[in-house]
Amino acid sequence: MMTSALLPFLAVLPIAASAATVLWRNATWQRIWLLAIPVLTGLGALDLLLQHRETPVIAENVGAFVPGVAIPFVSDTLSALMILVTSLTVLMCLVFMTITGESRYRLVTPLVLMLLGGVNGAFLTGDLFNLFVFVEVMLLPSYALIAVTGTWRRLGVGRTFVVVNLLTSTILLIGVGLVYATAETVNLALLVGAGSDPRTMLSSGVVLLALSIKAAIVPLHTWLPRTYPATSASVMALFSALHTKVALYALYRVTSTLYEGQPPWIMVLAVLVGLSLVVGSYSTFGERVMRRALSWQMVAGVGHIMLGLVLFTQFSLGAGIFYMIHHIITMGALILGAGAIEQTYGSGRYERLSGIIRRDRLLTIGYALALMSLIGLPPSSGFFGKVGLVQASAQAGGAWQAVFITLIFVGALGSLVAMQRLWVGVFWGPDMEDYLPDSPETGRGTTVALTDDVRVTPRLLAPMAVLVLTQLAMFVFAGPIMQVTTRAAQGLVDLQPYVQAVTG
Amino acid sequence: MIIPITVGVLTAGAIYLMLQRGMVRIIFGLSLLAHAANLVILSAGVTAWRGEPFPDAAGAADAGDPLPQAFVLTAIVIALAVTVLMLAMAVIGHNDDTKRMPETGETHRR
Repeated sequence: MMTSALLPFLAVLPIAASAATVLWRNATWQRIWLLAIPVLTGLGALDLLLQHRETPVIAENVGAFVPGVAIPFVSDTLSALMILVTSLTVLMCLVFMTITGESRYRLVTPLVLMLLGGVNGAFLTGDLFNLFVFVEVMLLPSYALIAVTGTWRRLGVGRTFVVVNLLTSTILLIGVGLVYATAETVNLALLVGAGSDPRTMLSSGVVLLALSIKAAIVPLHTWLPRTYPATSASVMALFSALHTKVALYALYRVTSTLYEGQPPWIMVLAVLVGLSLVVGSYSTFGERVMRRALSWQMVAGVGHIMLGLVLFTQFSLGAGIFYMIHHIITMGALILGAGAIEQTYGSGRYERLSGIIRRDRLLTIGYALALMSLIGLPPSSGFFGKVGLVQASAQAGGAWQAVFITLIFVGALGSLVAMQRLWVGVFWGPDMEDYLPDSPETGRGTTVALTDDVRVTPRLLAPMAVLVLTQLAMFVFAGPIMQVTTRAAQGLVDLQPYVQAVTG
Repeated sequence: MIIPITVGVLTAGAIYLMLQRGMVRIIFGLSLLAHAANLVILSAGVTAWRGEPFPDAAGAADAGDPLPQAFVLTAIVIALAVTVLMLAMAVIGHNDDTKRMPETGETHRR
């Protein structure tokens, strides 16, 4: 049912819905839009994914201009898969948001819908300048979202978030301008192999630098663990599923088209990716708050995902893409679980929480499964994610083989011990005696003795449970899913169908 | 030569302002940087003065490249929107030089 003419609507529909919810602010009306739009885009992406089994690439030149001049929207297995996975995770975040009541804050619904529109556009665009535009469409509502939810810290860190991202966007814009100056086009299909020209190599390096900051690769990562935890759990889960993943998707896309996988600074990138793996894992030790610890694990995840790109074989790309979808789902589950605890007991600090293993059995089981997935223990999607990356490193041969396999294990060990600290701090220990309930007058300022009826409600748990079950399904059906990720990787290695579909 | 020098001066000023403490100065710095970026993009298509990018005003050989101009137009709109948003953020929230907490009507504790 999805045809090429409908591709732009995956981006346009959420943005139009965003406008509709600004104009008509009826609560029921807003809630319907908020939950229906991710379902619609997810179904659209699923249909595209099924179609890509026969037609690898579907392209639409908007406005029927000559191919090469027109604005292209391109869907291949990778972009359809990304939209499907992000739509599912976003839907769960929005369900969580509806349950906590955050979706009723002023303008949150239109902001989230606009964010979704920008993300879908960034996944589908086949043009570097439009990538910049859609990244901006994605970031502008985020600047506002970070300011309307979360603790009082948000007002300070919101500034950091805006300044870092705006600076990065400007660097991206300069990079795109320089690419146009040197290669005379910003259409990705026409830029295939353009990186072999030394001038384009330098100018697209500026684009890659900007995308690396947005993806939070060490040493350009420091903004992420300082800003994300200060906002609310649902918004942090949204950001973690969308922002860095759009940048990582763009890095995959740009590197594979412009350099056909062999950028001249692959060595630098390899070193930084190795650093990200280890720095992210071991920095988790310094944190004593659940979501702050998780934000450092996101940096480690970026290292794993980029490893697939650095090795650049069809197998390693497939493993990297598998790790990326695993990471989106697992991270969403962990952050929403932490959010459920914070919503109920009023704090995410290790020293305020203890003994949850006896209070909330279901939550504990789900959280344990999600943590195992994060570290890479079976039965979880993370197990196959890490197995894939180790296999890809083993195929690389030479010194890289030993270095990367060692780093993956050293990183996993660090994450394991750091997550044990979280486990001991939050789930083990004596029963809690008091908590910080939410009150309309004082916020969460006063400590109240904890009664037996204060538990994490099943409603609050449901979004996390869905994501945990999804990652378990990824463990059970790893074979068929790896076929899909391998097809996605093939689209990055063999660019002929992409170019043909866009240029006609 | 005038465009590269202008870009350099704008960028230098932008970096100086962004390294200051106050939010308003950072905003001025980012605005300068946005101007520098716009000039970089313009120079991608208009290295020397050429005619207007309209078919009836100048011949195809003399006309300027319209695409960078369209890029810059989009970029200016985005930069303006973000500047307004950042100015709002400079007004709300706490003072950068002190650790005073903002008056949100809630009592805070760690």
